[in-house]
Amino acid sequence: MVKDSLGYITHGSKTYHIWMIFLTAIMLIGMYCYSIQLEEGLSATGMTDRVSWGLYISNFTFLVGVAAAAVMLVMPTYVLNDIDFKHAVLIGEGLAVAALLMCLAFVVADMGGPSVLWHMIPGIGVFNFPNSMLAWDVIVLNGYLFINITIPLYILFRHYQGKEAKRSVYIPGSILSVLWAVGIHLVTAFLYEGLQARPFWNNALLGPRFLASAFAAGPALIILVLAVIRKFTEFNIEQKTINKIAMIVVVAAQINLIMLVSELFKEFYAPTHHSESAYYLFFGLEGKTALLPWIWTAIPLNVLATVLLTFHKLRRNPKVLYFCCFILFVAIWIEKGFGLIVPGFIPGPYGTIAEYRPTGVEIGVTLGIWAMGAFIFTMLAKTSIGIELGKLRYRKKEKLASKAA
Amino acid sequence: MTELRILLGFAIFLCLCSCKHTEGEYHSLNDKIEEEGKKYHGTNISSETYIGDIETLEITEGGHTFLIPERKGQLKSYACTECHSKPLSEMQNNANAQRAHWDIKVVHADENAMNCATCHNGNAMDHLKSLTGNAVDFNRSYKLCSQCHTTQFEDWKGGAHGKNIGGWSEPRAAMTCVNCHNPHQPQIESKWPVQFNTQKVKERE
Amino acid sequence: MSEKKKWFTLDLGFNKKVPTASSCGCGKTSGGCGSHEAPSPSKNEHAMTAEEFDKAVEGTMVDETRKDGFQQVFDVKMDRRTAFRKLTASLLVGAGAVQTSCSVIAGEESKEKAQIDWEEQFKGNYKLMTQEERDATVDRLVRSYQLRKKENIKMSATDASKNVLFGYAFNISKCQGYMDCVSACVEENNQDRNSQMQYIRIHEMKDGEGFKFNEADDNYYHEVPAEGHFYMGTQCFHCDDPPCVDVCPVQATWREEDGLVVIDYDWCIGCRYCMAACPYDGRRFNWSKPEVPEEEVNKNQHYLGNRMRKKGVMEKCTFCIQRSRAGKDPACVEACPTGARIFGNLLDPDSTIRWVLANKKVFRLKEDLGTEPKFWYFMD
Repeated sequence: MVKDSLGYITHGSKTYHIWMIFLTAIMLIGMYCYSIQLEEGLSATGMTDRVSWGLYISNFTFLVGVAAAAVMLVMPTYVLNDIDFKHAVLIGEGLAVAALLMCLAFVVADMGGPSVLWHMIPGIGVFNFPNSMLAWDVIVLNGYLFINITIPLYILFRHYQGKEAKRSVYIPGSILSVLWAVGIHLVTAFLYEGLQARPFWNNALLGPRFLASAFAAGPALIILVLAVIRKFTEFNIEQKTINKIAMIVVVAAQINLIMLVSELFKEFYAPTHHSESAYYLFFGLEGKTALLPWIWTAIPLNVLATVLLTFHKLRRNPKVLYFCCFILFVAIWIEKGFGLIVPGFIPGPYGTIAEYRPTGVEIGVTLGIWAMGAFIFTMLAKTSIGIELGKLRYRKKEKLASKAA
Repeated sequence: MTELRILLGFAIFLCLCSCKHTEGEYHSLNDKIEEEGKKYHGTNISSETYIGDIETLEITEGGHTFLIPERKGQLKSYACTECHSKPLSEMQNNANAQRAHWDIKVVHADENAMNCATCHNGNAMDHLKSLTGNAVDFNRSYKLCSQCHTTQFEDWKGGAHGKNIGGWSEPRAAMTCVNCHNPHQPQIESKWPVQFNTQKVKERE
Repeated sequence: MSEKKKWFTLDLGFNKKVPTASSCGCGKTSGGCGSHEAPSPSKNEHAMTAEEFDKAVEGTMVDETRKDGFQQVFDVKMDRRTAFRKLTASLLVGAGAVQTSCSVIAGEESKEKAQIDWEEQFKGNYKLMTQEERDATVDRLVRSYQLRKKENIKMSATDASKNVLFGYAFNISKCQGYMDCVSACVEENNQDRNSQMQYIRIHEMKDGEGFKFNEADDNYYHEVPAEGHFYMGTQCFHCDDPPCVDVCPVQATWREEDGLVVIDYDWCIGCRYCMAACPYDGRRFNWSKPEVPEEEVNKNQHYLGNRMRKKGVMEKCTFCIQRSRAGKDPACVEACPTGARIFGNLLDPDSTIRWVLANKKVFRLKEDLGTEPKFWYFMD
C-alpha cells in the first residue's frame, strides 16, 4: 500500500503539482531559517528573558486545538454511527495527524537544545511525570498521534484491500480517541493554567476556553478543506455533512464568545494588579501597543463570524459559510495563539513591559512548518480519498501491468 | 463496556499516582526550620580561612560572641601619647609643633551633643572616654557609639547591621563601627554606582 | 490468497558478497572515522545494490504476488547482514569510542576532544549519577577546558553538607544602589558578557509609594542614593517549594538538601518552561553562546555553579554554590559595602540570619503564591 500510495501521491493534476512545489519552496525557506537558528542560538528569534515564549509556542497551542477538533467528526461517525460523517472523518483524522506533526515540529523548533531531546525519553533519560505538565503533554500528544495514525490506517488499509473494517477493532480506539482529544487540549491548557506566576493564565476558565475555541476553529478548517476537496476531486461530500459540521462550529463559537465575555468581565469590572496583562492586550500599557491591532481585528471577526453563522439561512449559504469559517479560523488563531501567550509575559514578574516582535528567522520557520503541515495533509488526504473512491486498491500485479499497457 | 471500565480504572490510577507533594514533609518553611533545627549540632564547615590576615579579637556583647578587627594596630598615629605629652591647650598654640591631624572636623550630631571632648580624654589620650568618664579602649570604640545609637548597636550585635567578614559559618567575624564610618564624619557620601543594570534589556523595551 | 508465500523476501544478493573488512561497524559516517579500508568495498556495494535492487524488484513483481502493505512493511524477512547492521547501529555509544580511537589521521588532541565531547553528550542526569560518574564528568570538563583554552580550571562537585539550610536576608534601608553586588556576581559566575546577563536586579523605587515594582526604575543612571528613593535587589530566591522544579520536563533543575535550587546545565533541553513558571524573574536563558573574555574567567568552579555554560540552556543564581559550600559568603554578600546582605545557615540558632528573622520585621515577596522563598527583606 505504501508503494501504491507513493505512486498515487506523485501523480496529479497541474494545480496539484504547483501547490506541492509551492509548499516545498516554503519548507525549504523554513529549513534554511531553522539552520540559522541552530547556528546562532535562539537569539536569532525575537524572544528574550522577558517574553520567553513567542510565535512557536503560540502556533503550537493553537494547533493542538485543531488536532483535538478532529474528534468532533470521529465521535458521530464511529460511535453514533452517523453515516453522514463517514466520508469526512478520514479527512478530519488526516488533518489531526498533520496538525500534531506541526505541533511537534514547533516544539522542536522552540527548544534551546534540540540535540538533547532524548533526555525526555523515560528509561534513557529522566521524565518528570507526574509533576511536570510538559511531561503529561508529551505523553498525551504522542499517544493521540499514535491513535490517529493507527485507527485510520487500519480502516484505510482494509478498504484498500477491498474489505470492510472490523468494528470490534476500531470502535474502542475511536472511543479512546474521543476522550483523548479532550485530554490533549485540557493538558495543554493546564500547561499554562498551572503557573501561579502568570496571573493572565492562572484562571480556571483557560481549559474550557481552549476546548471551546478548538472545537470552533478545527471544524471550521475542516469545512474549508472539504470545500477544496469537493472542488478538486471526485470525492463526494454531502451537503448534510457540511451542515452538521457547521452546526458544531457555530455552537462552539458561541460558547467561546460567552467564555470571552466572562474573562473580560473578570479582568475589567474590578481591575486588580493581575489584570495588567489583559490591559496590555486590549489597551496597551505605557504606550506599548503592539498587540492592539491584532486583538481588535480578532475579536470583531470572531463576533461577526459567530453572529452570521447563527442564522440558518446564512449558514446554508456556502459562500457565507466559507467566509465565516475562514475569518473565524484566523480570529481564533490570533486570539489563542500569540494573543494568549505573549500577554502572559507582559508585564514581567517585576512589572517590566518588554514587547515582543518576531524576527524574520522566526517567521520563516513558522511558515515552513505550516507548509510542512499542509504538505503532509495533502499527501494523506490524497491517499485516503483515493482509497475511499476505490481508485487506490490493492491489485494483483498482472492486472496492474495490463492496465499500464 | 469492559473498555470503558478499563478506561475508568486507568484514569483513577493516574489520579492516584499524580500526587503533587513529593517532599510533603513540611507545610511551610518555618516548620521545616524549626523541625530540622532541633537536630542541629554544628556543621563541619569553617569560615576561619576567609578572615584572611586581618588581626581580630574576640568580644562578647549581649550574648553574642564574635570576632572584630583589631583597631589599634591600624591607627596610623597610635599611640597618641607619643605626641600628646602636654595638655591640649599648649599644643594648639604651639606654632612649631608637628602638624598631624589638625583638619579633623567634627560633623557628627551638633555642637550641643558632640565635640572632641565627648569621646577623647584630653588628659589620657591613649584611651577614649564614655559619657560618664570611664576609660574605653580604642579596640572597643563601639562602646562609645552604642551610647547614642542603641538600635544600631542591637542590630550590629545580632548581625543585621554592619559588614560580615569572611564567611557565613563559625567563627563569626564582623566589622566594627569605625571600620566603615569615620567617627568624626560618619555620613557616607553618595557616589556613582559601580556599574549599571543591563542596557541590553532596555534596548528591547 | 492462500497460495502466496508467507514471507516477503527482497533478495538484494547480499549473501553473495564478501563482508567488508571494516571493523567499524557503526552506521555513522561523521566523526572522523578514518579507517581507510571502508571506502572501496562500500562503493562496490552501493553500485551492486542499485542494479541488484532493480532486478530484485522486477523479480518480485513477476515471480510472486505482493502481500498487503501491512506485511510488506512489517513482515520483511531480514537477512543476517541487515540484522547485524541494525544491531550495530544501536551500539552507537561504544562504537563512537572505538571510532575515535581507531582513527589514524586525526591528532591525539582532537581525538581526545572528540572522545570527551562524545561522552559528555551521552551522560546522564547529575542528580542520578554515582560519585564515580560525577568525578569522571568533572575530570572530563576540566580536561576539555584545558584542551580548548590551554588553561587550567579547578572544578569541584561538593555535595550539600548536613545540618545546613541556606537563607538570605536583604536590608532595604541599607541598600544604596551601589551595584557592587551585581558587578561581583557577574565576575564570580562567568556570565555572558555579550548579553550583559545579570542574576541580580536592583530596583530604584520612590519613597512613599511602597513596593511598586511596575513603577520602579531598573535602569537608573545617576549618583546614588538619589534623593527621595530607596533601593532593593532581587535574584533567585531559592524557594523551598520551587515552581520551576515542578515544571521541568527532564528534572534538570532540583532543590538540593541544603536548600539551593540548582541546574544541571548539560541536562537542560532549553524549553524555558521554568522561566515561565518562576514568579520572581530568577532564571536566565542563554539565547546565544555565552562568552567571557579569557582573563575574566573565574577559574574556581563548581559543576552546578559557575562553570562555563553552553548556548540554549538555563542558568541562575546559585547562592555562589562554589563559595557557600566551602564556608564563604556569596560574592554579592561579600561585595556589598553597606552590609545590606546577610547570608547564613537557617538551622544554626546562633547565626545572623536567624537573629534577623527573629528580631526584625521580615517579609518575602509574593508570599501568597506559596513558593516559600528563602530570601527575606527587612528594614532597620
